[in-house]
Amino acid sequence: MTIAEAPLLEDTKLGPKAGGLYRHQNFGTGLATGIILGFIAWALSDWLLQGSNWGSDMVVTVTCVGWVIGFNAGIGTFNAIFRWTAGRDETREDQLYGAGVGQGWKRYFKYCTDHKVVGTQYLVLVMVLFGVGGTLAMMIRTQLLTPHNQWLSMQTYNAILSIHGMVMIIATIIMVSGPFANFIMPIMIGAKDMAFPRLNAMSFWVVVSAVPPILGSFFVGGIDSGWTTYAPLSVQTSPGQDMFSVTIITFVVSVTVAGINTLVTVITMRAPGMTMGRLPIFVWASIVAGTLGLYAMPAFLMAQSALLTDRVVGTSFYAPATGGAGWLYENCFWIMGHPEVYVILIPGVGALVEIASTFARKPVFAYKAMVAGMLGIAGLAIMVWAHHMFTTGWAPNLANPWMLTTELISIPTGIVFLCLVGTIWRGSIWTRLPMYWVYLFLWNFIIGGVTGIYLSDVPADQYFHGDMFVTAHFHFTLLGGAMIGAAGAVCYWFPKLSTRIFDERLGKVAFWFIAIGIQVTYYGQFWEGFEGMPRRIGNYATLFQPANQMSTIGAYILMAGWIIFGYTLVHSWMHGERASANPWHAKTLEWHTPTPVPLENFLVDPVVTSDPYGYGEPEVAPTKEPEPVPVGTQSSEEGAH
Amino acid sequence: MSTSHEDQKREEISEQIDPFFKGGPIYRRPIFKIGVIWAIFTIIGILIALLLPQHIMPTNQSHEFSDVMNTVVLFSILAAPVAAVVWAIAAYSLVAWRKRMPDYNEPPPDGAPLRGNTVAISAWLGVSVFLVIVLLVWGMTVLGSQNQAQANTIRVNVTGQQWLWNFSYPGTGVSSNVLELPENTTVIFQVTSQDVTHGFWPVELGTQIDANPGFITYIQATPDKLGRFDVRCSQLCGLYHSYMYTHGEVVTPSQFKSWLRSQGASSSSVNGFTSINKTFAEGKN
Repeated sequence: MTIAEAPLLEDTKLGPKAGGLYRHQNFGTGLATGIILGFIAWALSDWLLQGSNWGSDMVVTVTCVGWVIGFNAGIGTFNAIFRWTAGRDETREDQLYGAGVGQGWKRYFKYCTDHKVVGTQYLVLVMVLFGVGGTLAMMIRTQLLTPHNQWLSMQTYNAILSIHGMVMIIATIIMVSGPFANFIMPIMIGAKDMAFPRLNAMSFWVVVSAVPPILGSFFVGGIDSGWTTYAPLSVQTSPGQDMFSVTIITFVVSVTVAGINTLVTVITMRAPGMTMGRLPIFVWASIVAGTLGLYAMPAFLMAQSALLTDRVVGTSFYAPATGGAGWLYENCFWIMGHPEVYVILIPGVGALVEIASTFARKPVFAYKAMVAGMLGIAGLAIMVWAHHMFTTGWAPNLANPWMLTTELISIPTGIVFLCLVGTIWRGSIWTRLPMYWVYLFLWNFIIGGVTGIYLSDVPADQYFHGDMFVTAHFHFTLLGGAMIGAAGAVCYWFPKLSTRIFDERLGKVAFWFIAIGIQVTYYGQFWEGFEGMPRRIGNYATLFQPANQMSTIGAYILMAGWIIFGYTLVHSWMHGERASANPWHAKTLEWHTPTPVPLENFLVDPVVTSDPYGYGEPEVAPTKEPEPVPVGTQSSEEGAH
Repeated sequence: MSTSHEDQKREEISEQIDPFFKGGPIYRRPIFKIGVIWAIFTIIGILIALLLPQHIMPTNQSHEFSDVMNTVVLFSILAAPVAAVVWAIAAYSLVAWRKRMPDYNEPPPDGAPLRGNTVAISAWLGVSVFLVIVLLVWGMTVLGSQNQAQANTIRVNVTGQQWLWNFSYPGTGVSSNVLELPENTTVIFQVTSQDVTHGFWPVELGTQIDANPGFITYIQATPDKLGRFDVRCSQLCGLYHSYMYTHGEVVTPSQFKSWLRSQGASSSSVNGFTSINKTFAEGKN
């Protein structure tokens, strides 16, 4: 039997009972179970807690927890655990059902363990979250169009800006690590799937269950303490804060599970010959970000758990009247908060490096320096958090050490930059759409980085802290840097994800709107910052009007750009031109497997003989000719499902 | 990791690469053209650094604000050549190294297989380490000078509450919602809050510190120009955070004393206000 004749795994005929309970579960049953359990939790706690001091907070928290557990039970998160506990672990047939065999498009609405399905689900979720966060951003900018605008009440405005912040942070954390570290990264290292496919599905559906509470907080008064939810304000605010905390705690579970999964996959699932020194840069970026997330996110879980107990059962971690301190919250928050921006940024940069190498037709410049740079960023990122607290009055004597570590981080960042520029240096520049985003990143991130240097300097930060300059700075790095990386990744890997080419004509229109929109919006906000306009105000003095109008106009251009981008994505997905397996003639492994990618990814198990960047170099003959092994002839235990 | 076999191949290739920095008249070499673009970007950057901040920042009313302004200008000047390197190469690559193939879907021939360049990396590393040292020494020096005890010092208590500021002048019994300060006198603000965290930010004085409930934080500023300045809240503090602002006034020392008296302070307490606080200043640090 030749490889071409071997039946594909996804065409396997499964028995009528394969999958067990999974057969009856999908997104609909998850929603139903979640709503029912949430309702039961609400009714029970409301009845039991009537008249107690913290009644409403307790009821809201219990209801949200009921929803989260109910949704996950309904979708199938706990099935495998219970089966394993009961001694009836899944059979091979159950695993194949779980990977989506024989379910067609319905597998996208199920607890599906196929990493490619999970990646696609993540992409859709990220788009939905950006839609929500972007709409809120437009409401903020519209409110700020004129001074003393009365369009939104201050309560609504504060709620909108807080939820905008957190929804965007959730979306950006998963925007590259979700779709691409799930869909592409395992193929890049020659693996059949992630190391823990069920945990992979769990990481996605747990995020889905985490989103409704934070959006629901609008209906119980909203929150008015920003995405940072500084205590003690957040201890006193409306029950919306409880829903925010439940969302964060649930989300951290997902990020932790996903981070462990990424790390174990790269360590244990690499194809023969795929040494750590031959890993594509994007894989390095994924594990650096995953590991950094493992370090950072639990601090947020801790901070929010303590906040929740302060609110619900009356502990006093943060309440100054009973011996607590807001500084404790601020420290825990930023121990998460600073590494988290690199969790967002590094995968985007990794994707751009792959793009730069492919479209400059050149090897990645100084591979080892690039990896060292990313590791250096990650190592320093955990030691800089208190630069967010220069002006809080906490430990003023430590200002100099924090200034040192913060400024040191520009050295590994500079190395990563050098390697990106070095990759373009003397290349044969092929200006297809993905390459556009690399150039935009080079422009934007320099501005984001340089403005960060002012903020790292304590005397200058004493002016700029808490004003619009900071807002402009981190939007330039997160939107102008990381999100541009994500947009590049979408355009680059879209043929593999969707089997079609991302429409380049429309895509370039979107690109120019986005590129110009970013400049206008955030130059306006830098201007506001220089003038001295505080962040997070919904009503400003007439002095700031020209800068704000510039920023709002820019924001509308930006919105138009992202809408065109989203439309292009949906349109290309449905009607785009069919792509070949390797439309960019790239050398990384994901382009050397058929499109659409078969279940377990490869028709022949790959054997790696060099790194994937040998542009312009003669093929190095492998020391040993690999034996082609048709998929399916290996023992089933080795299969990832 | 690459095998020695691969390394050998790569060395052979790198020998074949056309010399990039040599041959031909200097103005025809790519490195010269990139240098010209770099110089243009650098000059534009430095001009922006020198001209822009003073036009869009508020009136400078204190030593601390001068520090902020100087820092912004200096850091921008230092950053301009570094940013210009990246932008110059990017711009040049789009013009000179862009390859258009007759078939859009066909990739251009491979570029030069450069796997790294020790000189470039070392030089870049050296420059960035040097710049970080400059930034750090500058920051530490300025911060150190700001924290020095001054001979001519007063103290003002600042209390934030949702959503207004209260300023009191210890010993005089004067309390106000407007921050009145004497010119050329170092003011140590003792900042706290009654409810949630606020951010005390006298904008034109170029400094700020959070007002934390249960704790007192200190910040000092030396106003050196007469006139009105803004006081804003820089930390989201709840419903009416947007409206939590007031203003202050820098006046001459004699005007300041008469203002204190007009607010009901006795003459002896007004005279004692400055002398008592000199000893406080000596006690700090």
